[in-house]
Amino acid sequence: MKSKKIFLHILFMVLVVTAIPAVQANAGVKNDGSDEEIDSFFEQEETFDPLESLNRVFFVVNDKLYYWVLKPVSTAYTAVLPQDVRLGLGNFFVNVAAPVRVVNNLLQGKVGDAGIDFQRFLINSTLGFAGFGDPAKEAFGIKAKPEDFGQTLGVWGLGEGAYLYLPFLGPLTCRDAVGFVGNAALHPATYVLTDFPEEAAYTGTDKVNLMSLHPGLYEDMKKNSLDPYISIRQAYLEYRRNKVLDKDVKTNVFREE
Amino acid sequence: MKNTIMKDTITKYTHIMALLAACTFVFASSALALPAPTDEIKPTLNAIITILLDPALKGEEKKTERRTKIMAYVNSGFDFREMSQRVIGKEWRELTPEKQDHFQRLFTKLLENAYIGKFESYSGQEIQYLGERIKDDRAIVTTQIENNGQFIPIDYVMIKKEVKWMVYDINIEGVSLVRNYMEQFKAILRRDKFDGLVKLLEDKNSTFE
Repeated sequence: MKSKKIFLHILFMVLVVTAIPAVQANAGVKNDGSDEEIDSFFEQEETFDPLESLNRVFFVVNDKLYYWVLKPVSTAYTAVLPQDVRLGLGNFFVNVAAPVRVVNNLLQGKVGDAGIDFQRFLINSTLGFAGFGDPAKEAFGIKAKPEDFGQTLGVWGLGEGAYLYLPFLGPLTCRDAVGFVGNAALHPATYVLTDFPEEAAYTGTDKVNLMSLHPGLYEDMKKNSLDPYISIRQAYLEYRRNKVLDKDVKTNVFREE
Repeated sequence: MKNTIMKDTITKYTHIMALLAACTFVFASSALALPAPTDEIKPTLNAIITILLDPALKGEEKKTERRTKIMAYVNSGFDFREMSQRVIGKEWRELTPEKQDHFQRLFTKLLENAYIGKFESYSGQEIQYLGERIKDDRAIVTTQIENNGQFIPIDYVMIKKEVKWMVYDINIEGVSLVRNYMEQFKAILRRDKFDGLVKLLEDKNSTFE
């Protein structure tokens, strides 16, 4: 038990230390519609993947897990539950995670967006039958402003650090791994569900449900690429960098012109 | 008498010259002022959509006909030469024109195999054009499309060629298509050289048949 705790401490330290050298990396990126912003659209940060050989081992492991466990479970799940139910369940999982979005919007200084997500949480938890519906969006046109702790760290100027591909979790940067811990601390499930099997069941259902709503995404990426490991790494990194740069805001800049 | 004829002829010529000059001016200015990037991409996408929604072209047995038609429009708006050059990187210039052409054919085929199939599930969702940005000879056209209640941002990255703007990259949710292949090919080129990459592409394309 004690050794497990020490291991977690060491892992955390490693993650923090590897993230530090890149602190400056995106401190200079502006988001004001200037030339620098349009340049940042064309240019990308260097990928830092010092653990590639180990990551590739886990990539194979997760690939097997996908075909042996996740896919059969998801297929059965999709067959049993109609799409409405799965969409509703998806809404529920998103709604429960509202504190993560509200707090991280606040941490990034987006007070208005934090208010919007708080409002959504109130509407959907009541009128939306405990979050299974999304009347906030459908009836009131209020859309979620998703932010997580990994993005907050990025906005604060922490570099993404080394790329990791972990068993079960899949692609992560060191920054997002730290963010993952922060998100868990803000997620109600962490406090309501007390033992590991309950938490695992919750997270598992969330993931299987999500996958049932986006079938074939992983298989498509594999089919369309010559090196799936690199394809997924590149897609993940660009997707997350974009979230940190707030593509939503960027789109608004575009819209005004 | 002779003088008046002379005068008439001169006036006639002046008119013709003026007309010619005017024509040249109009043509020249139309060549200088390219249509906006959005106005270039919109008709291409609309034409593809029309084919996708055409009931006469639906179904598995019409697949080849449908794809040939789609690819004709794709080729008029998407610059596969530019894409090929970018995914290969510096080494492109060292390749013989034959090798460049061969690679371009293989890479175009891969994109066709991988992505045209995706279009085919399209069922009439509206493409919203949110705006465009131009810097020098490059431009980004920002669009979004709704799918299952979620808006998916799709950006078209374009480059100015002599007479028109051509798409050379697509960013979906901020993820660049060309950069994704570029990163994959970089490692393969280092390890297996150009001929190895060509071999891998040929093998990959054969898995779609």
